[in-house]
Amino acid sequence: MPQIFRRSANTLSKVSIFGLLSLVGGLIVLAIVLARSSYVTRQEIFVEQPLQFSHMHHVTDDGIDCRYCHTSVETSSFAGIPPTKTCMNCHAVLFANASFLEPVRASFRDNKPLHWTRVHDLPDFVYFNHSIHIKKGVGCETCHGRVDQMPLIYQQHSLLMEWCIDCHKNPAPNLRPRSEITTMGYRPAVDQSILGPQLMTEYNVNPPISCSTCHR
Amino acid sequence: MNDATMNDGDTIEALRARLEATRGRQYWRSLESLAETPEFKEFLHREFPQNASEWLDPVGRRSFLKLMGASLALAGVSACTRQPDEQIVPYVRQPEEEVPGKPLFFATAMPMNGAGIGLLVESHEGRPTKIEGNPDHPSSRGATDLFAQASILGLYDPDRSRNITNLGDIRPFSAFATALQDALKVQETSQGAGIRILTETVASPTQRAASSRLASTSTRNMRSTRPT
Ligand code: HEC
Ligand code: HEC
Ligand code: HEC
Ligand code: HEC
Ligand code: HEC
Repeated sequence: MPQIFRRSANTLSKVSIFGLLSLVGGLIVLAIVLARSSYVTRQEIFVEQPLQFSHMHHVTDDGIDCRYCHTSVETSSFAGIPPTKTCMNCHAVLFANASFLEPVRASFRDNKPLHWTRVHDLPDFVYFNHSIHIKKGVGCETCHGRVDQMPLIYQQHSLLMEWCIDCHKNPAPNLRPRSEITTMGYRPAVDQSILGPQLMTEYNVNPPISCSTCHR
Repeated sequence: MNDATMNDGDTIEALRARLEATRGRQYWRSLESLAETPEFKEFLHREFPQNASEWLDPVGRRSFLKLMGASLALAGVSACTRQPDEQIVPYVRQPEEEVPGKPLFFATAMPMNGAGIGLLVESHEGRPTKIEGNPDHPSSRGATDLFAQASILGLYDPDRSRNITNLGDIRPFSAFATALQDALKVQETSQGAGIRILTETVASPTQRAASSRLASTSTRNMRSTRPT
């Protein structure tokens, strides 16, 4: 009887076994890399909006405080996006006829809200709350970056779970006095290695890392 | 299935009887052949009017099962996918007391056995979500009963009338106003003696005041009759 398998079949079977293993391994690595890619996390990706709203102009050039527009950031989980009325407080006079503000005027005229696309978007199974972070001295800049230098806003950090946990485990380097919460380009008056622990005790900061804090 | 067995008792009984007459291997074969019979097809069509053709079309059914299997197998990989875009839709003019992300509580009362129960309704961005007793109201002092708790569902009842209707057609409020004016005019000579308003038991002073105002504006004599 002739041999069914030739000698080369030995090599072939080894190659296919290891080939399969490395293919599976490769797929897993690919999945992990993909989950961290900016395509999935949306880090530093620009989002199309109904009109080009520039934080750089409004914050740096006009010196408007974040809380003038994001009114509920200190009291609520949700920071709040300003109602059209807030824009019209200024733009009923300023650039009152400019074509780039037509969506704002149309919204105010027809009582139809503007539809902004979310830039920062945690999955729905994560609970996040702005007010506690603001109260304990975490500034907007720490999580959102130099918003005052963004002609169009983008997500500075990955917002992955490890990013949250890194700070919850060691918040001291990220704390600042409450009076500096909305300051952009903040520099501590004293060295952060002294100020941080000081604020930790002053504000009684103790971020929880149990799963039910954020997954409830 | 139960309903159908009751309604289509004859058909399903007949089908069962046919099956009962068979045993073992033959049984399974006859299930198959039974599925091909016009009676069974007819039965299916009546039982699942929308999906019947899917069931009878072997390709559709199989690809459905395949897709289900694939989606189960791939469920674990879903973390790697990008979330769909979401939107933030702010108010045009934000109500003064509204803080987005925080509930607002409204004090109200609900009629029950001829009296009002004082309630607090929790509302999120204009949507009522939970009802509890109003601690400051003497009749409830923060307590509720199951009717008050369940009344939240009434607000989302699909059968609840959302519009003014006349003989089943949706009408604007202005149409109601003119219709009422006309009715009142006809009744003017009889001083409103022929008008009846059908309501549930009215314990609300506000509603009572409103109907007596309606009665006094154009007609003296209108009576409000309670259904008993
Ligand atoms: C003049 C009003 C105004 C001021 C002042 C303002 N913002 Fe905004 N902000 C907006 C509007 C409108 C949007 C939505 C448009 C967009 O996403 O581009 C927005 C969006 C954002 C977003 C992204 C929201 C999302 O979709 O994820 C962040 C983060 C943000 N602002 C932070 C800040 C910070 C930090 C400051 C202060 C340095 C600030 N804003 C000042 C009006 C303002
Ligand atoms: C406190 C007053 C004020 C408010 C509130 C305000 N703006 Fe402005 N806006 C300005 C000023 C001043 C400029 C001119 C900025 C410049 O060119 O330096 C401007 C410029 C703009 C421009 C065009 C210039 C550019 O490229 O930035 C747009 C678009 C705009 N605003 C949109 C908005 C929208 C949308 C809102 C509401 C979320 C809003 N503004 C709220 C004061 C305001
Ligand atoms: C601890 C980190 C952190 C700090 C500090 C922080 N944010 Fe945010 N911000 C987030 C995250 C995370 C989201 C996404 C929330 C979501 O998707 O539910 C977000 C979302 C937003 C949004 C979109 C609306 C919303 O609430 O979902 C705005 C506007 C915003 N932030 C403004 C601000 C401003 C203004 C400050 C400072 C006063 C600030 N944030 C401070 C992490 C932070
Ligand atoms: C830069 C630091 C920092 C980052 C980043 C950060 N946090 Fe926090 N977080 C804090 C501090 C500080 C507190 C306040 C802890 C306390 O109560 O003392 C806090 C508190 C919280 C609380 C409230 C816990 C409670 O007591 O109810 C939640 C929920 C939370 N964080 C979620 C998140 C999530 C989700 C993220 C990531 C998207 C995140 N945080 C990122 C610093 C941070
Ligand atoms: C400080 C907040 C915080 C805490 C505490 C936390 N998580 Fe998370 N978790 C997050 C955030 C934010 C995400 C979403 C990351 C993303 O964008 O995919 C997440 C995602 C996840 C996911 C989904 C992973 C994925 O890739 O989609 C799992 C599983 C998870 N967390 C489990 C846990 C467990 C188990 C614990 C307790 C040991 C825990 N988390 C504690 C914030 C937290």
